[in-house]
Amino acid sequence: MTSTLVIFIVLSLLTLYAAYRVATAHLITHAALFLAGTFAGVAALFFMLQADFLAAVQLLLYAGAVMAVVVFAIMLSQMREAGDHVPRWVDALRSPFFGFLPLISSVALFVILLISYLDTPWPSSATAAAVNSTRYVAVPLFQSYALPFEVASVLLLAALIGAIVLTRREDDR
Amino acid sequence: MPGASGVPLIGYLIVAAAMFCIGAFTALRRTNAIMILMGIELMLNAVNVNLVAFSRFVPAGNGARGQVFALFVLAVAAAEAAVGLAMVIIVSRRRDTIDVDHINLMRG
Repeated sequence: MTSTLVIFIVLSLLTLYAAYRVATAHLITHAALFLAGTFAGVAALFFMLQADFLAAVQLLLYAGAVMAVVVFAIMLSQMREAGDHVPRWVDALRSPFFGFLPLISSVALFVILLISYLDTPWPSSATAAAVNSTRYVAVPLFQSYALPFEVASVLLLAALIGAIVLTRREDDR
Repeated sequence: MPGASGVPLIGYLIVAAAMFCIGAFTALRRTNAIMILMGIELMLNAVNVNLVAFSRFVPAGNGARGQVFALFVLAVAAAEAAVGLAMVIIVSRRRDTIDVDHINLMRG
């Protein structure tokens, strides 16, 4: 067992634990905190996959910007408690529709994915590492995917304007 | 080869699958609108891990196509978070709750 594998296992266990705490958090602020931890763990996984540009973007955009937006939404909606039925096992078993069915379906999805993954022959070794990974991303992004890139910028502008128009108060008009 | 050689592709795939299922469980189980959005963000992150892992392990021409796709997923997720949370804020302002079980005005 190499040291890389040990680091990977520890990292993924930490990431999945943070994701689990998001799913079972009582307070919505705790869920936001653990969500930031999950995003940081995913950024570390990107580093391990030698996608360092994407890891930096993940930290800036998800752990930074999206988390700030989530915290502002929690603050403005004034919901401190998660306010819903907390998923305890007994509670989940008692209410068949709102507890049991999501659990069954998500576990079943995981089992199906696991079986199909173990059944498939995957390429065993990684391809040669890129010398300059940012260039490695930028070349297809600005050559063959230039049009989707522009469409994404229009989408972001539309989302920006939409968010402003939606949250404006009526008496400002 | 140094780097990711110690970890097989299936390791990343299993972690991403587990994360996706936790996100799906959060989105289906919770009734708080912000928690549902957090579950969706978890699912999108898991998909990104899959895309980057495939772009590392499956050779494809010049450039990392999988990472480009992951960047597009990031842009769409940012737009979704902005508009979704704006909707949560106006709903909480008008209805005094963001519990999706109580937001049923358009249910037939």
